[in-house]
Amino acid sequence: MAEHTVASFDEDLRQISRLINDMGDLAGSMVGGSTRALLESDNALAQRVVSDDAIMDARQRELDDRAITLIAKRQPMADDLRHVVGSIRMAGDLERIGDLAKNIAKRVGSVGVSTAPRDLTHSIDSMAQLVLIQVQAVIQEYTVGDATALAKLRNDDERIDVKYTSVFRELLTYMMEDPRNITACTHLLFCAKNLERIGDHVTNIAENAYYVLTGTQLPANRPKQDETAMSAPAA
Amino acid sequence: MKPMLSTDLNVADTTVEKAKIEVKNLNFYYGQSKALKDINLSLPERSVTAFIGPSGCGKSTLLRVLNRIYELYPKQTAEGQVLLDGKNILDRSQDLNLLRTKIGMVFQKPTPFPMSIYENIAFGVRLYEKISKAEMDSRVESALKRAALWNEVKDKLNASGQSLSGGQQQRLCIARTVAVKPEVILLDEPASALDPLSTAKIEELIDELQADYTIVIVTHNMQQAARVSRQTAFMYLGELVEFDRTEKIFTSPREKRTQDYITGRFG
Repeated sequence: MAEHTVASFDEDLRQISRLINDMGDLAGSMVGGSTRALLESDNALAQRVVSDDAIMDARQRELDDRAITLIAKRQPMADDLRHVVGSIRMAGDLERIGDLAKNIAKRVGSVGVSTAPRDLTHSIDSMAQLVLIQVQAVIQEYTVGDATALAKLRNDDERIDVKYTSVFRELLTYMMEDPRNITACTHLLFCAKNLERIGDHVTNIAENAYYVLTGTQLPANRPKQDETAMSAPAA
Repeated sequence: MKPMLSTDLNVADTTVEKAKIEVKNLNFYYGQSKALKDINLSLPERSVTAFIGPSGCGKSTLLRVLNRIYELYPKQTAEGQVLLDGKNILDRSQDLNLLRTKIGMVFQKPTPFPMSIYENIAFGVRLYEKISKAEMDSRVESALKRAALWNEVKDKLNASGQSLSGGQQQRLCIARTVAVKPEVILLDEPASALDPLSTAKIEELIDELQADYTIVIVTHNMQQAARVSRQTAFMYLGELVEFDRTEKIFTSPREKRTQDYITGRFG
């Protein structure tokens, strides 16, 4: 993009991009950290994720302040306007991803002290890998300006949804097999749901990023299915 | 992104509406110098169209062609067609006085006549119509009301038009334009010499007037164009670069030159 006539305008826009990048990196490290803490019962790591959430919140507030001030001072237009408004929205989703990662981290203690066998967490592990890849990719693709990759990434969320359905069924089976698993599995179910929600926020970010880059919205009807309702056992 | 084709220039959803003015293959010259290059656009009836672009891009020239006011100056010539309700106003047989009652114009600097507020409005009406004193009174009142000035001046209609503030003077000029019952109003930077509050009043007025008139506004203030107009034409170096719905132009223009201009990255 050509330089703006007012150099400080470009600097203001760059600051907002930097914050989105920082928040994206932090979201990736929080999601990765919380799931590793969960799988390895690492309480110290879980604690770090919980405290990282405060940093995430502060970054979002800073971004909001900067974006609002920029709109008031500069009245951005066209792609600048999309960039600023899109950043506010993306920061909101990144902040929610931070909250959900923190929620997973907070459950580490409860899952760890229970008598749940290790293999309960295997399917969660592969789901978490999928989610982490999405979280890391979305900001990266936005930064390099690859709208096609963002559209694909948004559709890839379906794989997370499918995975979630299978994790749900699996954990349900463990609980039916042995009621002593119920406490751990319930926490793990919440963790899986949180991961699935993180995937949804990544989808939102991809949609916003796509709009910022192209000026057009992706079609509203992405294939989406949550089959867990159908698979819940009859009481 | 969809590439911009020259034939796409007029694809704004304005095509479904009735065109009040159609500009076809218009070229304009100041002496030898070509100031407008093959302009084609269609201005829908009862709606506000903004012309934007850097100084010297031809936006004011285009506005001045629409009521042939350029003819007041030597060596200025227009080629092509400007159709008002389907009739070419560039035609030699066009009665200029009649044309200018149909297409009124308000300029950048308020230009009240050195006479009373009442006479400022009555003067133009008398040129075209013979009406009684009572009819004239009601015409003056309705024009001043139309221009949102009545409440401020109703008790001093005999005061000089030049005693009003800049914003009031500009609204007086709009009232004067409206009084002769035009069909189109051309506004050349109507608020550029006004403070923000007077500007807001003019913008509010433009918003109201579009229910009855086809309005064309030239403005350097892009936020103003974004606020008041329904479609926007971006011009550069005598060419019409892009013409589309205003929200499209200001959120996701198709042309890079438009994008660069409205985001302040020009040249």
